[in-house]
Amino acid sequence: MADPVIALSGVWKIFGRAEQAALADARAGASKADILARHDCVVGIADASISVMPGEIFCIMGLSGSGKSTLLRHVNRLVEPTSGDVRVLGQDVRALSPAALRQLRAERIGMVFQHMALMPHRSVEDNVAYPLELRGTSKAVRWRVAAEKLALVGLQGYGDRLPRELSGGMQQRVGLARALAADPAILLMDEPFSALDPLIRRQLQDQFIELSAKLGKTTLFITHDLDEAIRVGSRIAIMKDGRIVQTGTPEEIVTQPVDAYVRAFVQNISKLGLMTAQKIMEPLAKALALRAFDIGTARRAALNTNLDALIGLVTGSDVPVVIDDGGSPVGVVTKDRLLLAIKEGR
Amino acid sequence: MTGPDQIARFSGRNAAYYAKAFGAIQGHAGPVPSFNLAAAAFGPLWAGMRGLSTLFLVLCFLDLVALSQITSGIWGNVDAAGLARVTQLEATIASRRSQAAEALANGNAEAAATATRLAANLQKAADAARAEADQSRDGVALRVMVGTALLAMIRLATAFAANPLYERRFSAWRGDHTLPHGAPPLRLTVTVALVAAIYGLTLYAFVTSAPPDWLTTFPADKALFTTVERWLDAGFDAAYVSGRGVFEAIRDAIRILVEAFEAVLVGTPWPVVMLVICTLAWQMAGFRVALFTAAALAYLGLFGLWELSMLTVALLGAASLLCILFGIPLGIWFARSKTAFAAAQPVLDFMQTMPAFVYLIPVIAFFGTGKPPGIIATLIFGMPPVIRLTTLGLNGVPEDVKEAARAFGATEWQVLRGVELPLARASILAGINQTILMCLSMVVIASLIGAQGLGSMVLQSLQYAAKGQGLLAGLAILLCAMVIDRIVQGSFRRKP
Repeated sequence: MADPVIALSGVWKIFGRAEQAALADARAGASKADILARHDCVVGIADASISVMPGEIFCIMGLSGSGKSTLLRHVNRLVEPTSGDVRVLGQDVRALSPAALRQLRAERIGMVFQHMALMPHRSVEDNVAYPLELRGTSKAVRWRVAAEKLALVGLQGYGDRLPRELSGGMQQRVGLARALAADPAILLMDEPFSALDPLIRRQLQDQFIELSAKLGKTTLFITHDLDEAIRVGSRIAIMKDGRIVQTGTPEEIVTQPVDAYVRAFVQNISKLGLMTAQKIMEPLAKALALRAFDIGTARRAALNTNLDALIGLVTGSDVPVVIDDGGSPVGVVTKDRLLLAIKEGR
Repeated sequence: MTGPDQIARFSGRNAAYYAKAFGAIQGHAGPVPSFNLAAAAFGPLWAGMRGLSTLFLVLCFLDLVALSQITSGIWGNVDAAGLARVTQLEATIASRRSQAAEALANGNAEAAATATRLAANLQKAADAARAEADQSRDGVALRVMVGTALLAMIRLATAFAANPLYERRFSAWRGDHTLPHGAPPLRLTVTVALVAAIYGLTLYAFVTSAPPDWLTTFPADKALFTTVERWLDAGFDAAYVSGRGVFEAIRDAIRILVEAFEAVLVGTPWPVVMLVICTLAWQMAGFRVALFTAAALAYLGLFGLWELSMLTVALLGAASLLCILFGIPLGIWFARSKTAFAAAQPVLDFMQTMPAFVYLIPVIAFFGTGKPPGIIATLIFGMPPVIRLTTLGLNGVPEDVKEAARAFGATEWQVLRGVELPLARASILAGINQTILMCLSMVVIASLIGAQGLGSMVLQSLQYAAKGQGLLAGLAILLCAMVIDRIVQGSFRRKP
C-alpha cells in the first residue's frame, strides 16, 4: 500500500497561555470544561489522527466549533499543533524552516476558503496567478497558467474582471482555480461550498467531483453537511468537540454509526445513494430455485450498478436483471427486491 | 411579566400612582400627556431620588440659571464687571492716543496713523461695553421677571416629561436590574445633601455683597506651583544640554529638507513652477484637478502672495512628507503589536489634545526658533491621524484574505505589500488627507515661532485687526492645502 500523502497522528491543539500544562491535564482525561476552568485554555483538537491516501478525497465533517477547520490548518501549519505529528508528502511539517514551509505551501498545497478570500483589488486573473507570483514566476507564464486554470473551472473570458463583479458561485470557482494554479499535489478545501445557495452548491459539487476525477488531486475537504461529505468523499471523518468520533467510507458511516452522535446525523440521510446491485441482489442459485427464467435473454448489470440504473433495467420487462461479477452471473435483482430496497433505504 | 407588580417593584414609593401612569403610557402608541406633581414641586430632588441622574444634573443647572437671574436681579451688582472693563479700555485708549501724539511729534506719520486707528477701534469696544453695562442696570426688574418665568417653565416641562422619562427607565430596567430603581432612603439623603450644597453655596455667593474668599477662589498653593515649575525648567535645561547634538542634528536635517523644497518652489521661475504643478495635477489626478490647481495658483500670483505661498507649501510639504514617512510605518507597527498600540494610544491622545501653544514651548527650548522647530511642532500635531487611520485600516483587512496569502506561501512582507496595504488604502488615504489638513492648521501657529509664510501674514493681520489681509491670506492657505490634498488623493485613487 502506498504511503499516505497527509498523515496527522496524535495531534492536539490547545489555545491559551498555559497550553502545555493544559495538555498534560487533557491527556490525563480532564474534560474541556475542566481545562477551561483550570487553565483558561480551550481545547481545539484532542488527539486527532487521520491519514489521507494519494488521490483520495477525505472529508472531515463536523458542526461549527468541532475543530475541523483548525485540524485542516495543521496540514499547512497555518495552525501550530500543541503536540503531535504532522507529515505531508513524507515531510515533517513541524520541522520545516520558514522558507521550506513557504515553499511547501506555494508548490505542493492549494487551499480554498469558505468565504473565497479573493483579493478585491486584483483582477480575477491576477488572483488566480497569485501563488505563482509569490514564487517569482514571469508574467507571461502567470497569465498563461491563469487562463488555463480559469478554463478548467469554466470561467474562460472572465480573467479581466474584478472579483466583486462575479457571483458567489463564480467567485468560489476562481478560488478553486487559484488553488490549482501552482498545480499542487494537495488540495485543502475549507467548507468551500457552505456559503453558497443550495442550487449553486449542488452544481459546484458536481463540477468539483468531475474535476477531481480528472486531476486526481489528494484532497482534504471540510464540510458541516453530511450529505455533501457523502457525495464528495471517498472517506469521511466525523469530528465532535475536537475529537474524531468515527472514520470510514460513506457507506460505513451511514450503515454502521459508532455512537448516538453519529447515528443522529445519519438518521435523516437517504441510503438510496449507497445501494448497489451487489447489496440488494438475490444469490443466483436461490433465484433459479424459486423461478425459472432464461439467463441468456435477461438484462445484465455489474455489481456496483446503482439504484437509478437498476430501475431503468427492471422496468419494461418481467425477467429479473442478472448481476455479473466480471462476466460470470452471481445474482439477480427482481422488481420485488428493488421495491424492498427502496423502502429500506429511504 | 410586565404588570403592576413589576412596576411596584421598580418604583417602590407611590407604586399605585406609577402603575396607573405607566399603564396609560404603555397602553398607547403615541405620546400620552401626564403631569407628575412631585416632579413639578421638587424638580431635581425628585429626579435624584428616582435615580435619573442625568435629568438631576440638567435640572440643577437649569434651576441655577433661573435662580441666579432672580437673586442677582434682587441683590447683585451686575454691572460692576462691565464697568471695570470700560475703565480698563479707556486707560488703553489714552495710552494709544499719547503714543499717536508722540509719533506725530517725531514725524512718524505712519505709526501715528496706526496708533490712532487702534485707538478708534478700542473706543468702539469701550462704547459697546458701556452701553451693555447701562442696559444691565436698567434690567433688574426684567431679570427677576425672566428668572421667575424661566423657573416656572422648567418646572412645568419637568412635570410633563417626568413620567415618560421614568417609564423609559422602567423599560430599560426590565432587562437590566442593575439600573437604579425605587427610591431608597440612602439615595434620597445623598440627593438632598447634594442639592443643599449646590444651591446653598451658589445662592449664598450671589446674595452676599462680598462672598468670603474661600468660596470664590479655590484655596491654591502657589508654592507648589513654583516648585514644580522650577523642577520642570531645570529638567528641560538639562535635557537640552545633554541632548544638544541630537537636537541640532534633527534641526539641520529638517532644515535641509525644507530648503530643498524652497529651492525648488521659490528659486525656480514662477511660470516653470506653475506649469510643473499643473502638469503634475493633470497626470496624477486628472483634468478637473489640474484646472482647479491653475485657478488656485493664479489667485496666489495675482494677489502677490506667490512667494509667501511657496514658502508655506514648502513648509507644509516638508511637514506632511515627514508625517507620512514616519506615520505609516508607525501605524503598521501598531497594527501588528497590540501592546505597542496600547502604549502609544495615550501619547497620540496627548499629541492631539494638548494645545499647540503649549508644546511650542519645549520645541523652542530644544530647537530654537525658525522653520525646523515650526515643522516639528506641526509634526506633533499632524502625525496622529495618519498613524491612527493606518492602524485602523490594517486592522480592518479581512483575516481570511491575509490567511489565504499565507496559505499560498507569502512572507509577512508580501502579505503587507500585496494584501494589507492595498486593502487598507482607503483608510490610509483618509489619514494622509487628515494629516495634511492638520499640518495646514498648524502653519499659522508655527509662524508664531518664526516659520515664515502665509501663516506669518495671518498672524500679522491678527495683531493689527487687518480683516481684509487676514482673509486673503487665509484663503491662500486654504487653496494651497486643497491643491496638495486633491493631487495626493487623486494620485492614490488612480494608482492601484
